[in-house]
Amino acid sequence: MTILATEALTKRYPRVTALDQLTVDVGTGVTGLVGANGAGKSTLIKILLGLVPASEGSARVLGLDPVTQGQEIRRSVGYMPEHDCLPPDQSATEFIVHMARMSGLPRIAARERAADTLRHVGLQEERYRPIGGYSTGMKQRVKLAQALVHDPKVIFLDEPTNGLDPQGRDEMLRLVHRIGTEFGISVLVCSHLLGELERICDHVIVIDAGRLLRSSAIGELTQASQVISVEVEEGLEKLAARLTETGETVVVEGRSLTVQVRADETYDLLRDAVVDLDLNLVRLEQRHARIEDVFR
Amino acid sequence: MSQPTGVIHDIGYRHYDGPRLGRGAAAVALGVHSLRGAFGLGRTFKSKIMPFLLFGTMMLPAVVSITIMALLKQVPMGYTDYAVFMQPVIAIFLAAQSPVLVAPDLRHRVIPLYLSRPITIVDYIGAKLVAMIAALLILMVVPLTVQFAGELLIDLPMPLHTHEYLAALGGSLLNAVLLTAIGLTLASFTPRRGLGVASVIAFYMFTLAASAVLTGVLESEGYRDASSWSILLNPFFLVNAVQSNLFGTQPTEGLPFPSGAGPALILLAVVALAVTGLYARYRKALTA
Repeated sequence: MTILATEALTKRYPRVTALDQLTVDVGTGVTGLVGANGAGKSTLIKILLGLVPASEGSARVLGLDPVTQGQEIRRSVGYMPEHDCLPPDQSATEFIVHMARMSGLPRIAARERAADTLRHVGLQEERYRPIGGYSTGMKQRVKLAQALVHDPKVIFLDEPTNGLDPQGRDEMLRLVHRIGTEFGISVLVCSHLLGELERICDHVIVIDAGRLLRSSAIGELTQASQVISVEVEEGLEKLAARLTETGETVVVEGRSLTVQVRADETYDLLRDAVVDLDLNLVRLEQRHARIEDVFR
Repeated sequence: MSQPTGVIHDIGYRHYDGPRLGRGAAAVALGVHSLRGAFGLGRTFKSKIMPFLLFGTMMLPAVVSITIMALLKQVPMGYTDYAVFMQPVIAIFLAAQSPVLVAPDLRHRVIPLYLSRPITIVDYIGAKLVAMIAALLILMVVPLTVQFAGELLIDLPMPLHTHEYLAALGGSLLNAVLLTAIGLTLASFTPRRGLGVASVIAFYMFTLAASAVLTGVLESEGYRDASSWSILLNPFFLVNAVQSNLFGTQPTEGLPFPSGAGPALILLAVVALAVTGLYARYRKALTA
């Protein structure tokens, strides 16, 4: 089922073209929208919400036209912006209840939904304290809660993991995945980190400078994007040869070695190879694959 | 043996299938929320101090008036002059509370969250304007009404001032509309609350001084016509002039206001200009 679709969508500002002939088709589940900063992700969301008119082309969200039926779209869509958008002097509960009412929920329903939603995003007792004292992770959860509180059919999440530490990222991504699967709400999640999205998305759309680079199911992308970078004191060539023998894809880049992750065994193979060859390991890290890596 | 009763199940995510009201209901909810905010209701104790202190001050003349009526059987204070007499208090309320209504949403960038919902920018501005108008009406109409109730209860040896009371209610509405348009617009140009307070109070002080100085100079130079117009620079005198011309009540302090529709047209023009400025301000916030 198609949740949203665009047809040759173009948005020109006086100086830049934010979207250039973009044609995409997004189905149910979790869809990632990947692009560098300024690639046109936020512009696309604004057009889909009916807040900004497109210069050319057309779009449909839930079968509705954002230009003429923006009201109905905004009624069934949730939006989590990238930037800070929370008043520090209110508690999360007060704020989410207010936002639920702004979505048209009656008073009592708004209270119930707010309590439910805050529980689902994982805010406990702290929801009665003013938002100003929250950690970044808690603020991101409140931002997510306001997008979910009116039980939308689709939500647009703009960089939900921004500013979070690795553990916070994992928790947020797990939450986004749950929304798409357990909650049955379709998700369009924007990020500039492909490695992050591929863990939770069913489908990934990559845009660059407003143009569609690629739109594919997640399986087609995964292999290319999981990469580990290894650095050893001496014997880089020996290690490269050993790994190539065992069937890994290895590239020597200056003083470090880049290994494509085929499956979980790759990690074990790499560890065993280093031990067997008696090498001094300097650095071993998982590189967050960026869009550039995939399309190089 | 009794069965355990309080079992908690994790029922997972539940969809909402209750009623979804339209933008009208959302705008009303926002208006009520903002009106409560203007008096600090539902906020911290600190944010209640200022509005309630000012409201208390507004009530003082009414209470004194009732006392005088009861003890001395004398005329109550003029209904139609109440706002002019209490203008510093009303101006401080406007300056202190206008930023409370508009600044936080701008400063903390909450506006995009409203705009991603059925509510539109016009609904948002409308709700804020109506809330501030209502807050000012409460501030001005309650003392008038209390004083009038006092006059009804105390048997004075003179006819009731019903016409003056009703004219003052009309004047209060004009005052509330004019002050709200000016106050919210000035406050919306800065996302910082303190600056908003300062700009509104500075604007009032400026009109107060300009009106007095210009009128004094023009009068001493013999330009009587021009001086009667320059008084109207002060918004409270402008409203008083419109009130006098509209309801035929005595102008405050016997001031020689220009007669006819002139003052009313100025009032309308100022309100239209201010609301246009407010709309332009939020249009900018929308595209940013």
